[in-house]
Amino acid sequence: MAWFKRSGRQDEAAAPVAARAALPPEAVAPTRAFPKFLNALSQRDAPVIVDFGPVIGANVSFFGERLGCKIFVEDLFADVERHAREHKRDAMPEFFATRLRQDEQSVDGVLCWDLFDFLDRASAVALAGRVAKMVRPGGAVFGYFGAAAAELTHYSKFVIQSESELRVRPYPATPVKRQVLQNRDIIKMFDPLTVAESFLLKSNTRETLFRRL
Amino acid sequence: MWKRDDAAAGQPQQGGQPARPQTPNPGNDPQAARSDRQESTKVNIGKSVIIKGELSGSEDLTIEGQVDGKIELRQNVLTIGPNGRIKAEIYAKAVVVQGEVVGNITATEKVDIRDAGSVDGDLAAPRIAIADGAHFRGSIDMKREGGTAAAAKPAASTASPQAGAQTTTAKPADTKPADSKPGENKPGTPAGSPAASSGQNNPQGQR
Repeated sequence: MAWFKRSGRQDEAAAPVAARAALPPEAVAPTRAFPKFLNALSQRDAPVIVDFGPVIGANVSFFGERLGCKIFVEDLFADVERHAREHKRDAMPEFFATRLRQDEQSVDGVLCWDLFDFLDRASAVALAGRVAKMVRPGGAVFGYFGAAAAELTHYSKFVIQSESELRVRPYPATPVKRQVLQNRDIIKMFDPLTVAESFLLKSNTRETLFRRL
Repeated sequence: MWKRDDAAAGQPQQGGQPARPQTPNPGNDPQAARSDRQESTKVNIGKSVIIKGELSGSEDLTIEGQVDGKIELRQNVLTIGPNGRIKAEIYAKAVVVQGEVVGNITATEKVDIRDAGSVDGDLAAPRIAIADGAHFRGSIDMKREGGTAAAAKPAASTASPQAGAQTTTAKPADTKPADSKPGENKPGTPAGSPAASSGQNNPQGQR
């Protein structure tokens, strides 16, 4: 009960009770691509970052101190959840094609986290196309892509512990089936970005860093 | 305020020494002077007050009411209380948000959004703290004045202590060395979440 009071988030409060009960515990996960993402941005003066996850104070402080950057917090997970709850998933491709306000080639880094696991193929293509356009030459995009079919019942907040470790904090989601994207599809939909690093994790998730040359 | 001091002045101190008479001149006691100054500069706008237009001043201010327009307290601290509803551009030395703000906030020192706070707008400040549970939508500008990021902080690798204070999870004690068995799953890792790297590096993105 205290957890509900502390969180105070409408999305979480509206999630099914069963989903809340089944939430896995928090965990710390090592990351290989994130340090390279940071390294790419640290070469740039006052970089601009877009974060597709919910706002996390620790991450804001981390980026502020490390990079002295400007961060756009665009909680697209909340948008996905809203569409799912309202049974309007069909409208997501059109929504994501116009959702982001950033100009073309105006952004140095994008943190997608595992957002693409929660999108259908059409929405993923629309969003990836938009991401590819807004990244500047030399910019980087960081994301996870599930490699096995599964029913997704929770989103995850990724709290930066250090440049090589992320704390994964689950929170409830309206269940959705993951549509597994093949590597060739991922490469194609992010064109003209190129895959700079890709790691296959034991959890059957691909951790990928894209760069714009 | 002075009544309490006068009463104390009449009481003998421990050890039988007579109490030194307190003079009402705060200039003799720097602490008292500072306290008086703080008390005199705390100003509240109550819950029932609605202001439309431009609000400026040179005192710390707490707003529990509603303000539409613009707020300028460039040398002072602005606190939006839990009942505060602000639809305005805000310029201040430091801003603490416990209520709701729609509009951009610019602070020369710090913006602090507490757990019940909500901000729809852009933030610009050298230091920004956002508590767990706070609502925020917009951009955050923490550009440093002069110097590149790499030069300013070359080797820090853990989340800041300030961040740890704002969120319950970013504890340095929980961190482990980056090279501690990177290919091993850690207990309690959520299914379907990135748990551990297998160390397979596919530069071409092929499995």
